Amino acid sequence: MNLDEYRTVFLVVTLGLALVAAYPALAMVVPFTGGSEEFSEFWLLGPGHTAADYPFNVSDGEMQSIFVCLGNHMGSSEYYMVYVKFGNSTQLDFDSSKPGSLPPLYEFRVFVGDEDVWESPVTFGFQNVYIGDTVLIVDNVTMNVPIEDAVLSVDDVIINGMVFPVDASTTWDSEKSGFYFRLSFELWRYDTMLKSFRFHNRVVWLQLNMTGS
Amino acid sequence: MGAYSKLFVFSALLLLLLPVPILLVNASGEDVASLALTEAEETLASTHEAVLEAEQAGANVSGLLDKLNLGAEYLAEAYVWYRLGVSENASRFAGLCYEVVGDLKSEAVELRGEAKRLGDAEFVVTMFGSIVGMIVVVVSGYVVWRVFKRRYRRQVLGLRPEVVSGES
Repeated sequence: MNLDEYRTVFLVVTLGLALVAAYPALAMVVPFTGGSEEFSEFWLLGPGHTAADYPFNVSDGEMQSIFVCLGNHMGSSEYYMVYVKFGNSTQLDFDSSKPGSLPPLYEFRVFVGDEDVWESPVTFGFQNVYIGDTVLIVDNVTMNVPIEDAVLSVDDVIINGMVFPVDASTTWDSEKSGFYFRLSFELWRYDTMLKSFRFHNRVVWLQLNMTGS
Repeated sequence: MGAYSKLFVFSALLLLLLPVPILLVNASGEDVASLALTEAEETLASTHEAVLEAEQAGANVSGLLDKLNLGAEYLAEAYVWYRLGVSENASRFAGLCYEVVGDLKSEAVELRGEAKRLGDAEFVVTMFGSIVGMIVVVVSGYVVWRVFKRRYRRQVLGLRPEVVSGES
């Protein structure tokens, strides 16, 4: 190697070391953004604290338990709200880009630090579950209404010990053989610019087969 | 008009008037709850914004978040009662939320100021350290280069073949 080549090596090494020395100052002035995506996680766990054994067949008066969880990866602490809604599959037809049209029954509000996870147990059950008009009178002849035409109604939903009157009913689903309802959890996030909550495009739900009393 | 008739008319008037105060009481109960909810909601949101600013300034806000969470829990319960039509409980829980969160904003502002002061000091120290580090690196590089160059030349010159008078 001749002297000119040595000079180049010295220059490169010195510049590299100078850059290392300048890095702490540069990091404070130049915002190194990008790379980390901002998002929130939202999920349900079964009674055993695992993604298994979710309640499915439910009946009048029987209590069930699950866990609702959320993870914050938004880069700062966030103010979240979780709406709990109950209805049939038509009332709660999920499209994660917009919230369900039904009013919420129960709600959670929580502040979650960045990279933190929050979870809460949810116990729920149903009261006053009944099948309406089981008999039909045609020309003075009493006939039993076939199950396919029957309507099952639920009058009360119990969530974490509170009773909520609801007006929910569903017809027999002949494909899946059951009376199906949904218990949904919607995630909302407080928008500091709008100064109000905005739907955060995340919905998780339980499909429940109401088996009557 | 006989005494009985007067009594009847009076009773009828009383009966007519009776629902009015009940309605007024109900309406005011609902209004009070609605007002309490709005107040608690606004306090919670503005405190959250103050906490966010403290967090962005580099403060450790985990303690504040714990208190905010207690307030948020009360507010959620207040809203649930309100939707159930139990205004008294809604007002009570909204009041509890306000009590828990009411003083947090000043705490968050204080924490933010402290974090900002620390951040500024850290900025000055880091800047100074970086600039000094860069100067040291550049000067050291130059000095090392000079020393190296001198030694290199001496070494190369030492190896240079000398022209000597030819011996036959």
